[in-house]
Amino acid sequence: MGDKYAVRNIRLCTKDCLCLYVCPTGATDTENSIIDVDKCIGCGDCADACPSGAISMVPKEYPKQQDKTDSAVNALKALMRSKSKQENIAAGLSGKLAYAIEKSNRIMAEDIIREAGYMLPQSENTKEFLQSLLDKDYPERFPKDAVKKLLESLNKNEEDKTMNSNKTQENLMAAFAGESQANRKYLAYAAKAEKDGKKNAAKLFKAAAQAETYHALKEYELAGKVGTTEENIKDGIAGETYEFTEMYPEFIKDAEAEGNKAAVRAFTFAKEAEEVHAKLYKDALENIDETEEVFYYLCPVCGNIEKSRPDKCSICGVPGDKFIKF
Amino acid sequence: MAKYVCSVCGYIYDEAKGIPEEGIASGTTWEELPEDWVCPLCGAEKSEFEKQGESVAPLEKKPISAIESSVDMREMSPLEVSALCTNLARGCEKQYKPEEEAIFKELSEYFKTASAPAKDPDYNQLIALVEKDLEEGFPNANSAASNAKDRGALRALVWSEKVTRIQKSILARYEKEGDKILENTGIYVCTICGFIYIGDTLPEICPVCKVPNWKFEKIEGRE
Repeated sequence: MGDKYAVRNIRLCTKDCLCLYVCPTGATDTENSIIDVDKCIGCGDCADACPSGAISMVPKEYPKQQDKTDSAVNALKALMRSKSKQENIAAGLSGKLAYAIEKSNRIMAEDIIREAGYMLPQSENTKEFLQSLLDKDYPERFPKDAVKKLLESLNKNEEDKTMNSNKTQENLMAAFAGESQANRKYLAYAAKAEKDGKKNAAKLFKAAAQAETYHALKEYELAGKVGTTEENIKDGIAGETYEFTEMYPEFIKDAEAEGNKAAVRAFTFAKEAEEVHAKLYKDALENIDETEEVFYYLCPVCGNIEKSRPDKCSICGVPGDKFIKF
Repeated sequence: MAKYVCSVCGYIYDEAKGIPEEGIASGTTWEELPEDWVCPLCGAEKSEFEKQGESVAPLEKKPISAIESSVDMREMSPLEVSALCTNLARGCEKQYKPEEEAIFKELSEYFKTASAPAKDPDYNQLIALVEKDLEEGFPNANSAASNAKDRGALRALVWSEKVTRIQKSILARYEKEGDKILENTGIYVCTICGFIYIGDTLPEICPVCKVPNWKFEKIEGRE
């Protein structure tokens, strides 16, 4: 759906009917001459094709109303008040002239109040005004339900916007997942290229992998997922715990059932490492305010992390001197 | 021979040409035109004309008088709320939102009915308010809008001030001639700016807001 839709000015329409031929959804072909908003996809083909300029594209969402100063608004409202009084006086007089004066004053009052901050029916001023009507106690015949309906309809655009932002939220997380995978994928390709002696390809893969990391980090941040460090550690604990208690046990069972021994081994290493990670996160959370520097040693084979350099990895048995110090 | 320009609609009276089709012979000087002669385009009185090329006296800068503090502008009268609602109905109409337009119209009707009628209305009250608008209301609003560089407000003020001056002319004529001014002639209101036209040959476009004349409404008496 576009951000505009087509409307037809029936007075200008000369029934050339080109809009009927070009409309991809049949929105322009209606028995009451009003273009069907629900069908219109906002492509603008009808407006482009119309020989008499009877169709225009209007936005679904209008820009914010122009700002007004208090002194201008007050002066305009005072003038509007006077025009309203004159409308009322003329309404009490007989004859065509009085009727013309009554109408003339109403039209001026409308135009003056329009420029005093009530240009757009969708503006905050208008919504506040309508809300103020609902907050008051008017006699029964006051069309309260109609006002509620009106407010809902004027707020519809806002809801659409929120829905759009939900969509964007989803997209940010999907992009984060995709970019994260691309990063690991390119690193895998870079390792392969290096092993094959294709140094330039390896370099490009590494650079591209880093680029995807930048994208992923930005998207994750925009999605509002980065909290305080305490919150982030808790999230780490939750993620690792899920992996070692639920995800990897299931995966190991499946890999065993399929006889994929390499996968069983990789999943088992990962499961045990994740358990260690969860425990380390818990420690870190408890000692969040500890200022004494801590060192972590990472096993490059299974991902195990120790707080001191071991003789050999407790999970995969790799010698301690291979561990990477952080 | 000189030319005189209507300050409301811009019509030019040329002494050399006169207006033969209205029985004013060429060469008729401004002074020779009858006192009750009005602008053939917009109906403004002679006093609204300025001699072309003559430097108009600089506009008297009126100080902004504070809006009466006793008037609580936050609280609108029912009739003002009604006008606000018809304005918003117009806004919806322009945006092709017929349902919202109908509700704003319903609201405006409600508040119009809820409005107390004016006490002992008469034309003198109208004349007094028109004069007050021209002396205070417009200078105040123009000054505030100029200070705020609010061209939208200035636009509305230019239109409504002109319409108010036309109303002043018409009210002055009515005071002198009474119902005679509408004898054998139509009366129209421009639905965009409120310009009142008395006559049967409509100007092509509204002399105040320049909208085509099909937007004029012929006044047929009260509904």
